Amino acid sequence: MSENKKIAMVVSDGTFDKAMMPFIMGVTAASMGMNVHIFFTFFGLMVLKKGAKPKMGGMFRLFTGMIERRMKNAGVESLKEQIETAKDLGIHLYACSTSMNVMGVKESDLVEGVKVVGAAKFLDIAADSDVQLFIG
Amino acid sequence: MEPNETLDALGLSCPMPIVKLAKRMKGLEVGDVLLLLVDDVGAKEDVPAWCNRTGNEYMGMEEEDKKMKFYIKKKD
Repeated sequence: MSENKKIAMVVSDGTFDKAMMPFIMGVTAASMGMNVHIFFTFFGLMVLKKGAKPKMGGMFRLFTGMIERRMKNAGVESLKEQIETAKDLGIHLYACSTSMNVMGVKESDLVEGVKVVGAAKFLDIAADSDVQLFIG
Repeated sequence: MEPNETLDALGLSCPMPIVKLAKRMKGLEVGDVLLLLVDDVGAKEDVPAWCNRTGNEYMGMEEEDKKMKFYIKKKD
């Protein structure tokens, strides 16, 4: 068994595709034995709100339902299910405290198990990660 | 090759076959062989990569039409 790798992701956008990507990557990484840390900032924070239903960006917004159905047909879990899977796999989810203040989001608005942190805490984790990804 | 268990991931796209594979392997004993059925073409590269990363043994793959049969041996 190779040593456990660590992956840190930043999500700064809350459109449907940007919301799904970190969870698809994250649950795969966790399934490969990696430690996964995901930091949600700016519009990415909206992904962590209870009952979040992200839409596709721009003119593709109208096709969100179609994409959701196609993903379901492809056997991919919904965002809500993936968030649960992520938590079951021990993935660490962080909400940016400044974004919460700016967007008026309270801790009670977020799904359970999210840790509210600032940039320094996340950078401390990212600094000794093997993989860093930016999704935005 | 006689597998100890079979995991049917047919009809599932990435990342679900790998997520289910990881979960199922946890329940196996060291030395057990799992047969994994997948039809998502990404699995052809993903399953060996998963084995490489997790230290389990990739024993090979058979393809029938679009169906892939992977054999994976659980390691320590």
